[in-house]
Amino acid sequence: MPATDQERLAREVALARGGDRGALSRALTLIENGALVSTAMSAEWQGAAGHGHRIGLTGAPGAGKSTLASALIGEFLHRDRSIAVLAVDPSSPLTGGAVLGDRVRMSAHADDPRVFIRSMASRGNPGGIAAATGVCALLLAGCHYDIVLIETVGTGQSEVAIVRAADTIIVVVPPGAGDEVQALKAGVLEIAHVLVVSKSDLPAAARTASELSSSLALRAGRRGDVPVVQVSGLTDQGIKALVDALENQRKANADSSLHL
Amino acid sequence: MNRSVEAPVLDAAAARQWQREYDAQIGEDRVTANRSGIPVKALYSPADWDGTRYLDDLGYPGQPPFTRGIYPTMHRGRTWTQRQLVGLGTPTDYNLRLKELLGQGITAVSLIPCNSVFRGYDMDETHAELLGTCGTVINHAGHMDEALAGVDLARVSCAMNDPSPFTLLAFLLVTARRRGVDWREVTGTSNQSDYLSHFVANHMFYRLANAGARRVLVDQIAFAIEHVPKWNPMSVVGQHTQQAGATPAEAAAFTLATAIQNGEDCIARGLDPDRFLPRFTFFFDISVSFFEEIAKFRAMRRLWGRITRERLGARTPSSWRFKFHGQTSGADLTRQQPLNNVARVTVQAMAGIFGGLQSLHTDAYDEAVSCPTEAGARIAIATQNILKEEAHLTDVIDPLGGSYYVEAMTDAMEAEIARVMAKIDAAGGMYAAAESGLVQRMIGESALRFQRQVDAGEQTIVGVNRYMVADDTVSPGQPKPDPEAMKRHLASFRHWKDARDGAGVKRALDALARAAESPHDNVMAEIVNAAEAQVTHGEICACLRNVYGFGKPLVAV
Amino acid sequence: MTIVPKVLVTKIGLDGHDRGSRIVTAALRDAGMEVIYTPPWQEIASVVKLVLEEDVDVIGISSLATDHLIVPKLIEALAAAGLAHKPVIVGGIVPDSDARALEAAGVARVFHPGSAMQDIVNYIRAAAERSRAAAYPV
Repeated sequence: MPATDQERLAREVALARGGDRGALSRALTLIENGALVSTAMSAEWQGAAGHGHRIGLTGAPGAGKSTLASALIGEFLHRDRSIAVLAVDPSSPLTGGAVLGDRVRMSAHADDPRVFIRSMASRGNPGGIAAATGVCALLLAGCHYDIVLIETVGTGQSEVAIVRAADTIIVVVPPGAGDEVQALKAGVLEIAHVLVVSKSDLPAAARTASELSSSLALRAGRRGDVPVVQVSGLTDQGIKALVDALENQRKANADSSLHL
Repeated sequence: MNRSVEAPVLDAAAARQWQREYDAQIGEDRVTANRSGIPVKALYSPADWDGTRYLDDLGYPGQPPFTRGIYPTMHRGRTWTQRQLVGLGTPTDYNLRLKELLGQGITAVSLIPCNSVFRGYDMDETHAELLGTCGTVINHAGHMDEALAGVDLARVSCAMNDPSPFTLLAFLLVTARRRGVDWREVTGTSNQSDYLSHFVANHMFYRLANAGARRVLVDQIAFAIEHVPKWNPMSVVGQHTQQAGATPAEAAAFTLATAIQNGEDCIARGLDPDRFLPRFTFFFDISVSFFEEIAKFRAMRRLWGRITRERLGARTPSSWRFKFHGQTSGADLTRQQPLNNVARVTVQAMAGIFGGLQSLHTDAYDEAVSCPTEAGARIAIATQNILKEEAHLTDVIDPLGGSYYVEAMTDAMEAEIARVMAKIDAAGGMYAAAESGLVQRMIGESALRFQRQVDAGEQTIVGVNRYMVADDTVSPGQPKPDPEAMKRHLASFRHWKDARDGAGVKRALDALARAAESPHDNVMAEIVNAAEAQVTHGEICACLRNVYGFGKPLVAV
Repeated sequence: MTIVPKVLVTKIGLDGHDRGSRIVTAALRDAGMEVIYTPPWQEIASVVKLVLEEDVDVIGISSLATDHLIVPKLIEALAAAGLAHKPVIVGGIVPDSDARALEAAGVARVFHPGSAMQDIVNYIRAAAERSRAAAYPV
C-alpha cells in the first residue's frame, strides 16, 4: 500500500537526520509540495542538540544580498561551519513558473561538501517567501547544519514570514541618498536584528550607515542594540565583524532558549 | 486601401492608377517588416529616394560617405579574400587540410583552434573526448609551426581565431621569428579580439574578466601597431550578437558602439587614432534577409566614416574605411533537408558581396548538423567561385546603388542603428551597457520575438515549420579526429613539457604576472616572451586569469 | 501532492552559446515550471551535487560544438550517486549517429535544432510528471 506523504516524510527525515542528503532533499520536496508537518515532528527538530542557527537575509532587489550571502558562506566555511542555504526566487504571477537563479550566484561555494543549497520559488506568497520555507529551514537546522541561510526576494516591506522562519534577520541596504533610507518602510527596521550596508567600498555607504543608526536610535524599545555593519563584497570589509555579530546572536538565542 | 501601401506621388494619375489596380488585385495584403522591425512596402519609387543628393548620400567608391564601397575598385580590382575557417584535430591534420583548401582556391588562412583552446586550457586539462572535434589543438609555438608548415608567412594572410590573451598571435610571431620572417611582413587579423561580444553573446571565447580583457586588448593593439604594422589587432565582432538573436540593426549598433569603446580606450592610452583605426576590422554575420543585410553594410560604411572622423578624431582617409569580413549565418541553416542550406548560403553570400565585404566565409551545408564535412566545405568554396566567375557579380561596383528600395532601406537601417547606439551611449557606452546587462536583455528580447514568430508560423523556415517532408536526409555524421593521432599528440605534448627548461618557463610566467599587475607594462610583449620561452597556452591563460579573474558572463533569462 | 515540475537547464563541457538554453528556460517558466538555469561550463560533479540537493525532476543539457560527447560521463556519475531514475534530455547540434549512441547510453531524448518549442515543453512536462510520480508514488 503506498505510503501517505506523512509516512514518507517521516521515513526520509529519519534518514536525513542520519546524514543521508538524498533523503534530506526528498524530504524538502515533500514539504514544499504540501506534506504536512505535525507540531510534534517540528518540535523534535527544534529540540535537537546542535540545532542550527537560522539566518534570514532580505532586502530590496539589487541591494547586494547574493554577494553578501556568498561572502558569509565563505567566512562560515573558514570557521569550519556547515551551511544550508534556502534561496527563494519569485514565481511569475502570470504563469506560476519561475527561474531559480540564486544558486548560480553562490557558485564559488556550491561544490563544498559542507554546503547544501536548495532553491525554492515563492509560489505567490506575498511576503516573498514560500509558505513551506519556514518548515524547510527547521528541518535543515535539525539535520545538523550549523547555519541555515534563508535568502529571500525582498521588497523592503514588512515580511512577517521571515520573522517566523529565522532566528536572526539581516536586512541589506545599499548605499544611497538619504531619501532612500527614509523610504524604507517602518516594518523593515522593526524586524531587523542586524542592518547591513552593502557595497561599502562606495563613499555613500558611511552616510547611509549613520542615517540608519539615527533612525534606529529614534525608535523606542529594543532597537538600540541593533548593529549596523558596513560590508563590501569587493574588499571583504566587515564580513568577519558581521559573522562575529551573528555568532553572538546565536549564543544569545541559545541562552534565552527562545525558539520561534 | 491597404494600410501597408502608400502610393508614390510623382505622376499623380499614374500613381493613382497603380494604387487602384494594386488594391483590386492584391486581395488580402500582408504587413511586411524586416528582422530589424523596419516596414517593407510593396513598391519604392523616387518618392522614397530621389537621388538628387548623390554626392552627399552615396558618393563614389573610396570616398566619403563610402556608401558604395571603401575602395575605388572594390571586387572588380581585387576579389574579396576567400578565407574559409578551418580547424580540426592535430596540427598535422590542420596542415593537410589547409593545403587542400589552398589548392581549391582559398587565398588566405583562418585558423580555428579546439574548443579547449578557446576555453583557455591545454590538452591535458580537459575531457579527452572533446579534443580536436571542432578545431585544431595548438598549445605551444611548435604546434603553430607544424600547423602552418609550408605557408609563407611573409605572403599569406593568417587570421587567428584568438581571444584575449592572444596566445595564437604570440605563437605565430615566435614561429615567424624562428623562420627568419620579419614581423613587419606578417599580415593577418586577431579574430575574436572583441571581448565584449564574448561577454554578452558567445561566451565560449570569454576567458578573462572584463577589466583585464580590456587592458590586454589595448596592450595588444599598441604592441601590434608598433611591431607588426600589417597586422589587424582589432576585429570587432557583429556575428556573435546577431547569432545570439540581436536584429541586424542591433548587431550593427552594438558593434559600432564596441568599436567606439575600444577606440576611446586606445586614445586614453595615448595611441594615435590614425595609427590604430586603419587596423580596425569588423566581422559580421550575413543572414538570409537579403536586402536588409545589404542595407546594413552600406549604412555601416556611412556611419563608421562619420564616427571615425567626428567621435574619434581621425584625419587620414585610411582611418575612415569600414573593412569587414562576412560569414554566412549558421543560425539560418537547418538540420532538416540540409541540402537546402546551399541555397541559403548562396543568398547570404550574395548579400555580403552586394554589401561590399572585403573577406568572405561561406558555411558548409551541413553546419547545422555537425562540424562541416569535406564535401560541404568544397561546395561552400565553389559557391563563391560560381558567384564570382559564372554570375559575374564582381563586374560592377555596388550594382544595387540607386535602387529606390535599397537606398531607402539603407537610410532606414542607418536611422535604426543610430537609435540603438543612442541607447548604448545613454547607458555610458558599450562597456557599461554590457556590464549592466542592458545589451544582453535587448538580445534576449529579440531572440524571443523571433522564436515566437517562428512558433506562430509567421516566419517560415522551410522544412522546419512549413514544406516539411517526413523523411529528411541528414548528413552521415561529423568528422572526428583520429583518436590514435590525438593520443599521440597528447603523449608528445607531455613529453615535450617534461623536456622543457622549467626554470625558464617559471621566469617567463613570473615576468608575465608582474607585467599584468603593473599598469605601465605591455602585457602582450610578455605574452610573446613567454611563448618564446616555451610557456604553454594554458599556462599563459591561467596566469592572467589569476591576476584578472576568470571571465564569467552575466547569466540571466 | 501537487506537482510543479522542477527542471535543470545546464551546459557541461566547453561550449558557450546560450541562445537556445535561454529560450527554452523562458518557455518552461512561461509554461508554469520551475527552472534552475546555470552558466555554461559546469563540472559533472557540480551537476550531480545540484541534482541531488535540488531534487530536480528532469535534467536538460544544452549542447552545441560536440559537448554531447561527454554526456555519457554525466549519466554514469548520476547513476553512481543513485540518481539514474532522473531523465536526462539533450538539446542542440547532435549528429544522428551520435544521437542513437546517446540514447543507448541512457539519454531519454535528443532534441535537434528546429524542434518546435511546444513539443519540447510538452515532453519535459510529461517527463517531469513521470519522474516525480515514480519517486513519490501516490
